[in-house]
Amino acid sequence: MDAADKRLAIAAESLFLVNLLLAPGLAFAALLLLYLKHRGDAGPLAANHLSQTVGVSLVGGGLLVVISVLIVLLGGFDSGYTWMVVILYFTFIHSTLILTGVLGLVKALAGQPWRYPLVGRYFGS
Amino acid sequence: MQYRSQAVAKPYFIAAIGLFVGQILFGLVMGLQYVWGDFLFPEIPFNVARMVHTNLLIVWLLFGFMGAAYYLVPEESERELHSPGLAILLFWVFLIAGALTILGYLLVPYAGLAKLTGNDLLPTMGREFLEQPTITKIGIVIVALGFLYNIGLTILGGRKTVVNLVLLTGLTGLALLFLFAFYNPDNLVKDKFYWWWVVHLWVEGVWELILGSILAFVLIKVTGVDREVIEKWLYVIIAMTLITGIIGTGHHYYWIGTPEYWQWWGSIFSAMEPIPFFMMTVFAFNMVNRRRREHPNKAAVLWALGTAVMAFLGAGVWGFLHTLAPVNYYTHGTQITAAHGHMAFYGAYVMIVLTMISYAMPILRGQEASDERSQVLEMWSFWLMTVSMVFITLFLTGAGILQVWLQRYSTDPIPFMAAQEKIAIFYWLREIAGVVFLIGLVLYVVSFFVKGGRPAMASAADTA
Repeated sequence: MDAADKRLAIAAESLFLVNLLLAPGLAFAALLLLYLKHRGDAGPLAANHLSQTVGVSLVGGGLLVVISVLIVLLGGFDSGYTWMVVILYFTFIHSTLILTGVLGLVKALAGQPWRYPLVGRYFGS
Repeated sequence: MQYRSQAVAKPYFIAAIGLFVGQILFGLVMGLQYVWGDFLFPEIPFNVARMVHTNLLIVWLLFGFMGAAYYLVPEESERELHSPGLAILLFWVFLIAGALTILGYLLVPYAGLAKLTGNDLLPTMGREFLEQPTITKIGIVIVALGFLYNIGLTILGGRKTVVNLVLLTGLTGLALLFLFAFYNPDNLVKDKFYWWWVVHLWVEGVWELILGSILAFVLIKVTGVDREVIEKWLYVIIAMTLITGIIGTGHHYYWIGTPEYWQWWGSIFSAMEPIPFFMMTVFAFNMVNRRRREHPNKAAVLWALGTAVMAFLGAGVWGFLHTLAPVNYYTHGTQITAAHGHMAFYGAYVMIVLTMISYAMPILRGQEASDERSQVLEMWSFWLMTVSMVFITLFLTGAGILQVWLQRYSTDPIPFMAAQEKIAIFYWLREIAGVVFLIGLVLYVVSFFVKGGRPAMASAADTA
């Protein structure tokens, strides 16, 4: 296994997690740059992790931001029930993304490919 | 079993499971009292049920930690326990003292219990989680000192590994910090300030060291991954635990009369407290993914992975949810705290004790792993307990968010009891999830008595 390929895979999964945990948006921008820079020359392992993390970050962003905003708009800002639903929803999706990201990082550390559950099939593997 | 003296762990594990059942029964009684206020009143009032529920939790976890240490330390130190006889003596002292204390809570009015046990000579009673009579507290200190003496001499006279040194550090910290239970100043601010040195610095400090070392031990055994790799992870995890957890105590100092700078210190450091739990999750899955052997005890591996995930969710995510001062201003002392408390205790400490019992108990009974049928039942109990705990947490979180809204945030806040009435549906749902949890626990107990399926290998194979 190519060490550079593995390093790139680990970087992709790390940025996916940093985007969720520490620097939302900023880490995604870095991940996107990494993806665009290595789109043509990445080995199979890095290509797998790069496309999975970029794809799932976009889906995750949509689920977290768009759906949450929709819940607030539909339920009304001045309702305790709206906040209950949106906080529980956001926490559930966010935690799920983090835990699947941990599995992705573990696979990258072991030099193995990874497909995110449910939505991963729509992105290159 | 590599050392005969490891057998002293068995009664500790059995007592732990027995008290765990008691804790859940009282939890269900209390859960029902939330919606049916005079259920079992005046025999078991709510405050007594709550005290028994939380005290049993603490006592059975301590039994579990001590059992885990008595099993783990001889193997890590590569020698017999310094004094198996002392370990058995202390077991009976602790069990009898614990049982008498619980009976005291149930049979004597609390003020009468204080009088009966001479609390006025050294007043320490009447504080949440530290309700034990002073004489019981002195008993706990004696048991802890005897236990540390036994474990300490075993470690000092044998092989020193990172696992047993981290465990010893955690256990010593546990004993030392408990001494603050005897400091009971009249000044309420000072009282609360140091009360947290026991409560917070246990569960978000030294107990995490105990958790980390037990998890590392079990992972070394079931995965066969090099000890050096696991020990490096353990170093980083405990460093992050202490860096974030000690000053993170500040998240309890926001509204108790301490200086305002605690709102900054508490927010910043406790926001970092999920880091060691996150690392623990990566660590556990990484080690299992890199395993060099297929251990026949699948249930123990499941408990180990479950511990990491649930500890991260309960302590990490649900802790972060209400830890920042501006958020905590509205949420402190609501059902959001209860949601966090339930999942964090279950994920971090209940599950690690059950992980150790799952790994060690078959070996203590002469098998490397339980029979297949027993393991299947145990894994069912894992899923029932874990999924029902997730639901308990979600229902309490829902109740907590509504409580905050109705009682504290809205433009027209309503009184506490009026808010409680409006969120009663969540308490019913929590009670149903609690019943499922109890079913899982019953299955867990039954799994120890079930035989059949693939015969398990002899304990001699346990040489990892």
